[in-house]
Amino acid sequence: MSDPLTTIGALAGAGMEAQSQRLRIVAQNMANARSAGATPGADPYQRRTVIFSAEMDRAIGSYSVDVKRTELDPTPFRLEHDPSHPAADAAGNVKMPNVNMLVEMADMREANLSYEANLQMMRRARTMISSTIDLLRSGQ
Amino acid sequence: MIVGTVDGSSSAPLWVSELASRKASWAAARQATIAGNIANADTPEYRARDIAPFNPDPYARPLQMSRTHALHMELTDLERLAEAVDETGTWDIAHSGNTVSIDEEMIKSGQASRDHQMSVAVMSTFHRMMLSAVSFR
Amino acid sequence: MISPLSGLGATDPLIQPPGGAQAAGAAAVAPAPTQSPDQDSFAQTFKDVAANARDTMRQGEAAAIAGLGGEATIQEVVEAMMGAEQQLRTALAIRDRVVAAYQEVSRMQI
Repeated sequence: MSDPLTTIGALAGAGMEAQSQRLRIVAQNMANARSAGATPGADPYQRRTVIFSAEMDRAIGSYSVDVKRTELDPTPFRLEHDPSHPAADAAGNVKMPNVNMLVEMADMREANLSYEANLQMMRRARTMISSTIDLLRSGQ
Repeated sequence: MIVGTVDGSSSAPLWVSELASRKASWAAARQATIAGNIANADTPEYRARDIAPFNPDPYARPLQMSRTHALHMELTDLERLAEAVDETGTWDIAHSGNTVSIDEEMIKSGQASRDHQMSVAVMSTFHRMMLSAVSFR
Repeated sequence: MISPLSGLGATDPLIQPPGGAQAAGAAAVAPAPTQSPDQDSFAQTFKDVAANARDTMRQGEAAAIAGLGGEATIQEVVEAMMGAEQQLRTALAIRDRVVAAYQEVSRMQI
């Protein structure tokens, strides 16, 4: 069997880990928002997304969360006209990453909120465990 | 040993202590379910879950046995409790199929924490009272 | 002269490990053949209290082992400890009262 009090911490930990990976990918997208290719007609940086999945974890006794994989965003690249760019094709257009800063900022905010919520659950688990063990101190 | 039961709890000579103990277990199980919801707040197709409300009847059976799972897969104790209740009314359903609302879950989590704190306080008080009742001199 | 109460000593649960106390206790609990009925009932009460306290400690041990082995929830272990403490305190209170009553009886002028 598993102890509900300890599964709270385990689940919160898994949630924090998953959101951390998500934030890392978002940061990577933002850092590469202007990374075009190096040779004429080359593809630029392609936006990445994370896919979460709920996996039954027998050790915890409940459905934990895990980053199943990262996917490449298939949205078409934007075209910018810049004939002097190394990656400019015959028409002078450069393919730029399909990263939208506003979308990434929103994603980052959401990931932060989720991370904080998981952290709060971790704190609550610790408090609940402490107060249970403190029952033994109430004897005196 | 099953989540939600306190079989043969010898720390509960009074039925109030037994009740408080059961409520503390229930609150812990509920908090664990909520933790699962929050961890999966961005998992596609994940539906938010909750467990049955606490039954304060002193003569109630401590744990409701759930129906047989369709896949005959062995369920963990927590899953059995969580499965026994239909999905909670949702505030919003994302187009990914995820029904978790972090705000709603945090509110429920606060409730579960308070329920647990109060139950533990009751257990502590009655334990102290019991010990002082039998102390000599 | 009041003959000493039997049934204790080697059976002290804090000294003997589980199982060891049982073997030693079985040998030591046979009452002295010359005890009068009054001493018998005192001795019996005392032995019952000692056995009770020993069993309580065993329960606490079992719960602690289960908890350390990951078999029990934190709440279950804590509650077993609390229950053991309550029973032990009760047993000790009874012991103290029995001893006090015994001493009072032994001081009576006959």
